[in-house]
Amino acid sequence: MTLDRARWDTGMTYDAFKATMTRNQDRFSENEARVALDPETVRTFKSLPKGLRVLVLAEDWCGDVVANLPILGRLAKEVPTLDVRIFYRDQNPDLIARWLNQGKYQSIPVFVFLDQDFRELGHWIERPASVTARRAQERKKIFAAHPEFGAPDAPVDQLPEDVRVRLQADLQQMRENMVPFANAEVQRELRELVSRVAV
Amino acid sequence: MSAKPLRVKITYCAECGYERQALDLTQALMYEFGSRLSAIEIIPWESGSFDVSVDGDLVHSMKRDGGFPEHATVKSAVRSRLGSAPTV
Repeated sequence: MTLDRARWDTGMTYDAFKATMTRNQDRFSENEARVALDPETVRTFKSLPKGLRVLVLAEDWCGDVVANLPILGRLAKEVPTLDVRIFYRDQNPDLIARWLNQGKYQSIPVFVFLDQDFRELGHWIERPASVTARRAQERKKIFAAHPEFGAPDAPVDQLPEDVRVRLQADLQQMRENMVPFANAEVQRELRELVSRVAV
Repeated sequence: MSAKPLRVKITYCAECGYERQALDLTQALMYEFGSRLSAIEIIPWESGSFDVSVDGDLVHSMKRDGGFPEHATVKSAVRSRLGSAPTV
């Protein structure tokens, strides 16, 4: 895989990606509007001695992209030295092959921080582990509070439709309630990452 | 002998973009079994799931079995419950 100026220039800007979205565009914009940037995040990125390129792998159908890419987008608006380029994962198999989650999963979004010469400084994938863990915890609580939902790992197609619809609503509400925590965790991880690798 | 029609349910993770795999499997089952299936129900879900049940039996689970099901595996599960010979 070669990443050079020519390849970089084939990536979309954040605004171009938004404009080409065929799915979830409204949800993406809503998420972007309600991102609360921590001043510490802005300060950390603004204090970097040199600008950073951020290569992003994404698809517009992905829930984690719709949740987390707007955070980077908002940050880049605040920090002009962050140069973001977005590539569709499925059109760039050589890129995703380089940044597989746990060496095997094509999880997105991927944020790859690069220096001006396209050398990788660090990368971030999908969502913070703390968010995954908290979701699992909250999911367990929902099932514990509603025996009619059955076992957490049981196939949902066995549930009566009305019960399944209620379970889905509860899970969606739980995710919604977690947005402030999740956004803060994404920012914390990005701050820590660039603080470690800043040159 | 007229076999009892079967219901197939496909639960896929909508957040993961598994629509294509769900639709491909649906199409394969429609072409293969037609009206011998009473219904194919497609359930949008989350959490990285791709589960297929035939007449209430879970014949594939992404979490349990890994990945997407082979169409042949699902067809075979349907065939065995219909009691019909394989279609060549």
